[in-house]
Amino acid sequence: MILILFLLSIAPPTDVRAYDKPNDAGSAIIIEWNLSPDDVRVENYIICRRVAQDTTYERLGSTMHGVTEFEDDNTDDSKTYQYSVVSSSNSELSFSEWSNAARSYPHVFHTGRINVLVAIVIFGVLLGYFITQARSGKELFIRKIPGLAAVDEAVGRATEMGKPILYVPGLGDIDWTATIASMNILGEVARKIALYDAPLIVPNRWSVVYTVGKEVVKEAFTSEGRPDKFNEDYVRYLTEAQFGFAAAVNGIILREKPATNFFIGRFWAESLIMAETGAQTGAFQIAGTDSVLQLPFFVTACDYTLIGEELYAASAYLSREPLLLSSLKAQDYGKLIALAILLGFTVLSFLRVNVLSLLEVQ
Amino acid sequence: MKWYEIISRIDRRIIYLLLTFFVVLPFFIPLTIPQNIMPQTQKLFDFIEAIPQDDKVVLISFDYTPQTMPECRPMAIALLKHCFARNLPVIGVSYDPQGPGLAVEAFATVVDELNAHAVTREDSLVYGEDYVYLGWKSGRIAALLEMGENIKGVYPRDHFRNAVDSFPLMQRVNNYKQVAIAIVLAAADYPLDWIRYPQTRYGVKVGTGLTAVMAPKYYPFVQTGQVSGMMSGMKGAAEYEKLILDKGYAKELGTAETGMNSQSMIHILIIVFIILGNIGYFFARRKKSES
Amino acid sequence: MKRLLPLAVCLVMGIVMIVQFFSPHPVSLQFNSMILKWVIILAAFAMVLAIGNLIRHHGIKIQRHKENWPFSIVTLASMTGMAVIGLFWGVEDGSLFQKIYLNIFAPLSATMFALLAYYMASAAYRAFRAKSLEASLLLIAAFIVMLGFMPFGQYIHPQFPAFAEWIMRVPNMASQRGINLGIAFGAIATAMKIILGIERSWLGGKE
Repeated sequence: MILILFLLSIAPPTDVRAYDKPNDAGSAIIIEWNLSPDDVRVENYIICRRVAQDTTYERLGSTMHGVTEFEDDNTDDSKTYQYSVVSSSNSELSFSEWSNAARSYPHVFHTGRINVLVAIVIFGVLLGYFITQARSGKELFIRKIPGLAAVDEAVGRATEMGKPILYVPGLGDIDWTATIASMNILGEVARKIALYDAPLIVPNRWSVVYTVGKEVVKEAFTSEGRPDKFNEDYVRYLTEAQFGFAAAVNGIILREKPATNFFIGRFWAESLIMAETGAQTGAFQIAGTDSVLQLPFFVTACDYTLIGEELYAASAYLSREPLLLSSLKAQDYGKLIALAILLGFTVLSFLRVNVLSLLEVQ
Repeated sequence: MKWYEIISRIDRRIIYLLLTFFVVLPFFIPLTIPQNIMPQTQKLFDFIEAIPQDDKVVLISFDYTPQTMPECRPMAIALLKHCFARNLPVIGVSYDPQGPGLAVEAFATVVDELNAHAVTREDSLVYGEDYVYLGWKSGRIAALLEMGENIKGVYPRDHFRNAVDSFPLMQRVNNYKQVAIAIVLAAADYPLDWIRYPQTRYGVKVGTGLTAVMAPKYYPFVQTGQVSGMMSGMKGAAEYEKLILDKGYAKELGTAETGMNSQSMIHILIIVFIILGNIGYFFARRKKSES
Repeated sequence: MKRLLPLAVCLVMGIVMIVQFFSPHPVSLQFNSMILKWVIILAAFAMVLAIGNLIRHHGIKIQRHKENWPFSIVTLASMTGMAVIGLFWGVEDGSLFQKIYLNIFAPLSATMFALLAYYMASAAYRAFRAKSLEASLLLIAAFIVMLGFMPFGQYIHPQFPAFAEWIMRVPNMASQRGINLGIAFGAIATAMKIILGIERSWLGGKE
């Protein structure tokens, strides 16, 4: 009978170990254990905690069978804790030995992001190298980007027709990189417009983008010696509502009939609404966005589309400044290195060598 | 103008007029365009079909927004009808701030429809016994994890400020052990949190109903079994409506079916216009090269 | 000084925020949280300027009776009205503000969204012409996907819907990921150029 009872009783998990959770702000301890030999009969594992060497303990939580890890995210960094994991089945409980004592503490450096640091350093080295090359006077080749080569033609067209140029800097706020790239391009385009003397309309969805855009255009006109040509009305704030903004831009396109439309920045579902309206008025349209899902709509409705990173290359392309061109080179070599790493990891995966964790950003 | 020039330059107002006509037509003339059922939709349906009655509950997370209602609301309606037809109690939650209003509306629509045909009290759906809507909670991940220990600890009161303890349904539901499947209806990445946290730690089965744009991202999860079934977009909703109709759980098809009829008509119309445009283009090019 | 100060602030804050990314320490997290709050405060100040511009633009249109000036009255009246209603009668569920939002604004947004269907049809008709090999491939892929995702697709061939799904899931996803990789590098390069002061177009004007 005792033998039967012994055979039926459930075994506890073994080798319970606790350690401070790495790369966090403190207050968390990880508990790991080896499964109970009777894991298939276990309903769940209950995790208990006590302050080290104390006699009283508390129940923290539970996991289902087959799970060997639990995170206690409610620790006091000034205390040391011990843990026990309990096998539970049909009200029968079986306690493991208490774990080692563990204490949580905040970390200064996130070791799980070393791969990002290495990537930044590599990119920085590439950038430094090509900047040195540019400063030494070496000519840096950049392929023709049709959308950007057409900017002069686009601005000239509007001047000849006596119609305004519409520049929509996207619907993203200033924290989107695409919006920053758009501001860079706006500066270059505004300088050309100042020379050609064509009216400019820059509608904005966000207040910060409006203030930045206004300063960019104003400074561009000033730098070309045409501060008097700058009109406060060139840069406008419309509304933060997505489709309200699209409706307002449509209204501008239909009423003021710009000869040239630029759609440069971050866009969402409203992209085709604006681009197609512009196409219907016969405007010359250049678009550029990093929103992959909106690219097909722009390709369909616009004369030229800057795809993905061409948007980020635009500022360097238009200004032809050696320092900016050098950064494009660094970008391209960075992509080449990433491609080589991807191919290498793919080959390793085929050989069943799994090192994908090296690429993971925690 | 020659015929090929006419068909390659059709006035867009004619296109818009025809588009409007064909979108509206299925609402007045019922069409029966047969739906093919995608495997992932069938999987979700079969899972719910297999849940034993008087055992566990179905948990539905209403995380869609007014903008995605056309796709996600029919999913919610069809799911609720399926669950109630099988006498499976439903617990509703939301983690998107815009979810609660839509959840209440979905429950009200289905419950009112079913109760209108109820003969006895046993046939009726009663709040607190057959379904409960717990409401919206901030701190999504913490709430998902804590529900694995004690749902009533996370939701001491439901969306309508009633004490959850007072409901007969909630007296027998403590945590995920009593949940057969958690189905997430969303237009954002909420299902990923359910897979990462409750499923990994507590083994909760997860199903999803997603917009068509989001759905491809979750195909790998369906393949690995981490997602027990998925409705994708309005088509997925229409498929589910057909499945419950064929099984006798609904008397008629829902709004997704009508929407899909409109969508199918429009696709055909666009294809016809594209073909006409290309025919006109080719003939014009041929005439030009001949001359 | 006018250009030097913004460049210096950009450099210092850029480096500080990069360092913050690598530190999970509570001090680092609190700093990040403080910066985010300051961004919200700055945006609020910028909103004052933006609203001022809106009022100025429409005010001039009304004053000079420019073309379509009555609509400017509507714009200003709507903006002021909603602000007053929200401020004095609240914005919670059931308030007048919410009712106007749900019954006027939301349907108007949905209407604009609905325009997409028409524009897609006219754009597809105009642009999907087999003018070149690439355009022809685009046309064929579009046909396959459209037909595959319709109920009729299964009648062309039982595997047709699966083939359409494969096009979306494999070549389409692969090219999207390729573009995203390029975008990621472009974004990194742009950010580094701005932080290090190499890119100065955002300041406006020449060097």
